[in-house]
Amino acid sequence: MTRRDFIHKWLVYALGLLPVWLLDAYILPRYPLWGVAPMLLPLTVAAVAVLEGAYSGTGFGMAVGLLWELAYPGGFGGLVFYLALSGMAMGSVAQYALSQSFPGCLICSAGVLGLLDCLRVVRMLFINAAGLADLLQVTIPEFLWSLAWTPLVWLLFRAIYNRVGGTRLA
Amino acid sequence: MKDFLRQNGILLLVIAFLLSILIGALSFVMGGQADPLSNIVNTVTAPVRGGIAAAADWAEGVYAYVFRYGEMEQELTDLRAQVRELEEKVRQGEEASRENEQLRELLELKERRRSFKLETAKVTARSNYNWESILTLSKGTKDGIEAGDCVITETGVLVGVVDQVGINWSTVSTIINTDTEIGGIVTRTFSAGVLEGEFSLMNQGKLKLNYLPEGAQLVSGDEVLTSGRGDMFPSGLPVGHVEGVFTDPSGQTRYAVIQPSVALDSLIEVFVIKDFDIAE
Repeated sequence: MTRRDFIHKWLVYALGLLPVWLLDAYILPRYPLWGVAPMLLPLTVAAVAVLEGAYSGTGFGMAVGLLWELAYPGGFGGLVFYLALSGMAMGSVAQYALSQSFPGCLICSAGVLGLLDCLRVVRMLFINAAGLADLLQVTIPEFLWSLAWTPLVWLLFRAIYNRVGGTRLA
Repeated sequence: MKDFLRQNGILLLVIAFLLSILIGALSFVMGGQADPLSNIVNTVTAPVRGGIAAAADWAEGVYAYVFRYGEMEQELTDLRAQVRELEEKVRQGEEASRENEQLRELLELKERRRSFKLETAKVTARSNYNWESILTLSKGTKDGIEAGDCVITETGVLVGVVDQVGINWSTVSTIINTDTEIGGIVTRTFSAGVLEGEFSLMNQGKLKLNYLPEGAQLVSGDEVLTSGRGDMFPSGLPVGHVEGVFTDPSGQTRYAVIQPSVALDSLIEVFVIKDFDIAE
């Protein structure tokens, strides 16, 4: 694959990320369900990692993490590393243990969302910001509502993959 | 393992780790000012954010007009009745004001003064993080906004405090956010306390008035204002109403749960208090 093809491919992926980001950052928070807004960005990392493998998953995870940290308020940097690591882990799991399919993506999405929420709960418990019951009242609906968006994100990135993914442009 | 990591992006992972540290360090060092990277991204995306907010507000308006017309008509009737009541109160207030002025002159008391330097701003994004309550505004340092400025509605109700400022944007930590800590006072009893956000209450859209004095006799519906202690925030800004009074689990102190007067979900335009001068 030439450098031009490489840039073309990832520009198309970035274009696919754009509507998901706008939805996640500016539209869905206006209309919360069960009092929470979904997190769509981890789902995009899961979809790309499952489709493209660990290396691309790491790079895409890093880019999405950067977007999350810089475009949303209250960033502290940790999400760049977390999403890059998740991209690598999910890409590897999809490559060696699961398959490049929707169920594989659903499992990976559940993993990345679940671990992220667990880390947040642990942090909040550590700083004594709230009790476990109160935290679970946010975590569980957030996890389920986010996971419900997996099919849409998968379909979008699957369509992009079918066009420019893997070595199709080579 | 080594080959596996090399093939699967260990170098990218190291870069991600270094970027994480860089962003963390920058946000720690910059305090209330947005770090340069966030500033660039948010400044560039500001028009998109503004456009989406304007389109969504317009669509919500159309939806309300089409599907909630009856409800709006009823609201209009209620508001007309409310205006009549308020007009009567204004007349009484003006009379009392004149009397107050005369008495002040008679007693040679210093005149009370209350002036705010305000900046209007649009709410371009609402809390997109279920663990915090934050609003993004359309104004920033180029309009003279600073971290720590109070944000109010058109009726003077407290919305929150500016948390982070960029060139043409700023974020506001709302009064229900967990990091809120503002002096509050109950108007009926003059009981002072500290208005604080709490995670469990934040999700219900409420906050609490902590460290109430022992003998404070609060009742549901009592109005709570900012006390202005410490001169960080102006005094007398309406915050909300007492919903109930409780004793904390240790049994040592009592606190009141406050229902804010501001509807955070439907804010479109707010006012930032850039400077204030209050003489009591």
